[in-house]
Amino acid sequence: MSGLDAVGLSILGLVVTFVSLVAWRRTRSTTVDYFLAGRRTGVVTNAGAICGDYLSAASFLGVAAAVYASGLDGVWYATGFAAGFVPVLLFVAAPLRRLGTVSLADFLAVRFDSDRVRFAAVVAVELVILSYLVPQAVGSGLTWDLLVGEGIAGLSPYATGVVVSTLAVSGIVVIGGMRGTTWNQALQFGFLLAVVIWLAALLWAGGFSYPGAVEEVSADPLEVAVEDELEQVPDRLQGGEARFGEPGGRYGPVGQLALLITLVLGTAGLPHVMNRYFTAATGRAARTTTVWVLGLAGSFYALAVMLGTATRTLVAQHADEPWLAALTVDGVLRVPEHALLVLGRLLGGTPGLAVVAAAAFAAMVSTIGGLLIAAAASFGHDVVGRILRPYGGPREAVLAGRAAVVLVSALAAVIALVVEPTRLLSTFPSVIATMVTWAFALAGSALTPAVLIGIWWRRATAAGAEAGIWVGGALAVGSLVVGLVTEASPADGLGAVLLAPTLIAAPASALTIVVVSLFDQSTGVRPHVWTRLHGTADDRQAERLAWMTLRGDR
Amino acid sequence: MARLEIGPGDPRWLKEFDGPDEVAAAARTQRRIAVGYGLVFVVGVLAVPALSLTLPWWSQSRLLGGMSPSFVTVAGGLYVFFLVLGISAARLARSVEGRMLGTSDDDEPAL
Repeated sequence: MSGLDAVGLSILGLVVTFVSLVAWRRTRSTTVDYFLAGRRTGVVTNAGAICGDYLSAASFLGVAAAVYASGLDGVWYATGFAAGFVPVLLFVAAPLRRLGTVSLADFLAVRFDSDRVRFAAVVAVELVILSYLVPQAVGSGLTWDLLVGEGIAGLSPYATGVVVSTLAVSGIVVIGGMRGTTWNQALQFGFLLAVVIWLAALLWAGGFSYPGAVEEVSADPLEVAVEDELEQVPDRLQGGEARFGEPGGRYGPVGQLALLITLVLGTAGLPHVMNRYFTAATGRAARTTTVWVLGLAGSFYALAVMLGTATRTLVAQHADEPWLAALTVDGVLRVPEHALLVLGRLLGGTPGLAVVAAAAFAAMVSTIGGLLIAAAASFGHDVVGRILRPYGGPREAVLAGRAAVVLVSALAAVIALVVEPTRLLSTFPSVIATMVTWAFALAGSALTPAVLIGIWWRRATAAGAEAGIWVGGALAVGSLVVGLVTEASPADGLGAVLLAPTLIAAPASALTIVVVSLFDQSTGVRPHVWTRLHGTADDRQAERLAWMTLRGDR
Repeated sequence: MARLEIGPGDPRWLKEFDGPDEVAAAARTQRRIAVGYGLVFVVGVLAVPALSLTLPWWSQSRLLGGMSPSFVTVAGGLYVFFLVLGISAARLARSVEGRMLGTSDDDEPAL
């Protein structure tokens, strides 16, 4: 690690610690304050925090890498991530906030008036959180290994990265709660966006032409480095050789559809992202927040795609530089995930590399923070506060939530330490992106159908929702296990469906909810719950109070 | 509802409420809007790979430098499409809420 890397990471650590301490001073031990930041998060702050939550290292390094390696088919990764917020805006954001619950499992439990639904949802939520958390911990270890290269207290560099990141982020979340996590995530997303804008500005200042770059890299067949040789990428749509600017470099028709459905439906079921909507002041604010997210995330992804394209041309032009020659085979990067780091050094020298590395850490830290606070809300509020000790009071729920942060982060760290890092290093962080896709698949299969149907169909019953969650979750997990055991190819055909199972599991879950509800004798949603979901009385009241406060009325 | 948080002793108690019938009507309208925009979203997104499979010029011709219509759409156009769709849907949803809810002050509260 260079001195500049150390300075960059130290500044990041100091800012995060300062923000968490300020948040701790303002946080009281109440459920709404610790888990939901008092439900007073502003629209732009919340949008930034959602983006910080959503954009993990897999997004920050992975999108540019996917574009670098696969051209147009890699661009679909970014498009799918951004597209996921359109259904959230249309179907979920405002009603989700208006019911006034604390977590995604709490939302489903209140809507269906059932603790059995709460339990099923908590199981699905915790599985999604672990699926997301383990790859982030693995990524922290591998990034520490790559950049620092030294261990502490007898630990290997990889183990040091896992332990340090886990301890640091869990400490931040225990201290700062949702308020500290929100501020940190918003700041860290601002940093990520500033970094990609800065890199784009450096490119344009150097006379970069985006259309010209696409033309240049599309002139020859697409190649990837496999060990010490280049291999041409097959065109999975038309046959022959794939080209950068044309589809077919990564997926066949089924593979592309399976990935898109998984990313689009998965977003609405991600507990750490959906929990952020409960911190909005009103349902209208939650909806407006999503519009901001579409703008901010879209800008980020569009720039990341351009940077991946630019890296393809610049690396080829500078491949004879000694430091880059070690990372490439005939002008093609050995590890595509190095694309943004290499671009940082090509455009900004060593300081540029330090800035991009700090941004990668920021992406990981903000996502881990969001996952841990979601785990805290799910365990503290839903399991302890509602199922195990319903009369324990908010202080006990918050205490249980803080304990859950420590337990879940320790569990993720242990799993990350058990995973053999040397086996993963060759594909890092493709493994991270892949595991994150599994989390999307599980969320989209188990939780999203119940959320969507619960919001928009009065007749949906608790028995239907419970069955749907178990069926969707079991199908998703089963498909993934079969896909992994049989080493199925995610590119197309049955393998694509097995490794991105939302395509079959979400319809199966939805069908289960509908059929079981129709055969169920109970009456569906309680009238006052429906009124809270779709009424705006709370919104109007809150807006009026805010207006009166602004005017100084008593 | 807000009155649960404010409490009956507060003078603002019951200042705002929605009647069950008006909420049911508003929810039906919002569902139609969401489904309509959702269909536009699905058609817009799926049209891109569908065109790639059916029309060679969509991914092989050059629109801007080396960029095909497919590349321009996926790398930039769809983000604009999502944002425009989102702004439009949010404005319409807000407008519907404003017109259909909070107008029948004489209704019984929903509790």
